[in-house]
Amino acid sequence: MDRDLLKTELKQHIIKYLNLLEKAPADIIDDQPLFGDGLGLDSIDSIELVVLLEREYGIKINDPKDGRKIFTSIDTMVDYIIANRTK
Amino acid sequence: MFIHQSSCISPQSTFGNIDLDTLIAPENNILKVVEPKYENIPLNILRRMGKAVRIGVGAALPLIEKANKLDGIIIGSANGGMEDCVKFLNQIIEYDEGRLTPTNFVQSTPNAIAAQIGLTTANKGYNITHVHRGLAFENALLDAMMMLKENNDATYLLGGVDEVSSYNYNLERLGGWYKKEKITGVDLYNSQTNGSIAGEGSAMFVVNNESAGSFLEVKAIKMLHTNDSAEVAAQLNHFNDVNGPHNAWLSGENGDVRVQPFYQACENNLTGDMAILHFKHFTGEHPSTTALALWLANRFFETKKIPSHFFKSTPAEKPIGSILLYNSGKGEQHSFLSLRAVEH
Repeated sequence: MDRDLLKTELKQHIIKYLNLLEKAPADIIDDQPLFGDGLGLDSIDSIELVVLLEREYGIKINDPKDGRKIFTSIDTMVDYIIANRTK
Repeated sequence: MFIHQSSCISPQSTFGNIDLDTLIAPENNILKVVEPKYENIPLNILRRMGKAVRIGVGAALPLIEKANKLDGIIIGSANGGMEDCVKFLNQIIEYDEGRLTPTNFVQSTPNAIAAQIGLTTANKGYNITHVHRGLAFENALLDAMMMLKENNDATYLLGGVDEVSSYNYNLERLGGWYKKEKITGVDLYNSQTNGSIAGEGSAMFVVNNESAGSFLEVKAIKMLHTNDSAEVAAQLNHFNDVNGPHNAWLSGENGDVRVQPFYQACENNLTGDMAILHFKHFTGEHPSTTALALWLANRFFETKKIPSHFFKSTPAEKPIGSILLYNSGKGEQHSFLSLRAVEH
């Protein structure tokens, strides 16, 4: 899948999984931090993102420390998905 | 126990611009809540809330913001966030007990409502949820009364919340608890068939032992479990003798011919000068309707006005100063409340 298409699809999944009712894919900036001052996600959201990767892309993250790097931004998530997806 | 502030999110216009005269009709025999915008709940918290938690917290926050102090949160909810509960259980099957999303689980337990109110307002006091099916709110109310007996100067948030979820609606429908024919409003009471209309809602109250500033005193409550209508009528007579007289009877009748004999047996014993009111056409049927009925009674006393659609009998000419409220959960669980207007 084209990288830009994957980004849009991932943003749609994030909006659905995290119930970000007020957001559209265009509102989520590719290099913006997902946690803290950026999109404002928190620790429960990080578990939702782990589940998202497993269900949508067949990627299992077993070490929570890996999540910190992978979930930095949309760009880092897309890089990880392209390198590790099994579906 | 005196009610000081109250709020209600219901299928009718009971939150914000309150309008009890205009009836919103059920859609496919379901009265769903009219949800406000919840401007006082942070978006990051709101997005995770299921409906029961939303309407519970949404009704509670305006009261807590006005209350000087709150010593505890006492909630009644038979089902809590059932929709989220079923989503979570379905995930267990769908994903073969694999990794599951935490949000549905966190929102699914009945005590998520009281817990979320406590967390949102940093209230570290007594925090409890009663889940006794059709008597969930009544047990919460009894708990509040007992707490106030032990702690005379305390103030508590008391509430009742239940939602319509597709899961419990379908199960109750299969059990014949909702009508098959279309109901548009007060025709509910004349239907002569099994079942009622579904409803949902949340009512919250700030309660303490101070009469000043209150419009309603909850004088007494009684609960019983029986399927004998004569037993219910006898118990009601005793309750009325001890706590009466009352000049209005607020009936929880819901148009279900299986439950109507309980209401009728009690109504037959009432004195002729009592006004007869009913409210299920306004709230729909759910396990915590007594909370919404209590909110209505408080509103009646506060405004000294009762819209005509609540009257089963001829509307009362004299102001109503005391109400005997009776509700039955499926003809098995019964509650009586003695409510008095506070004169200032």
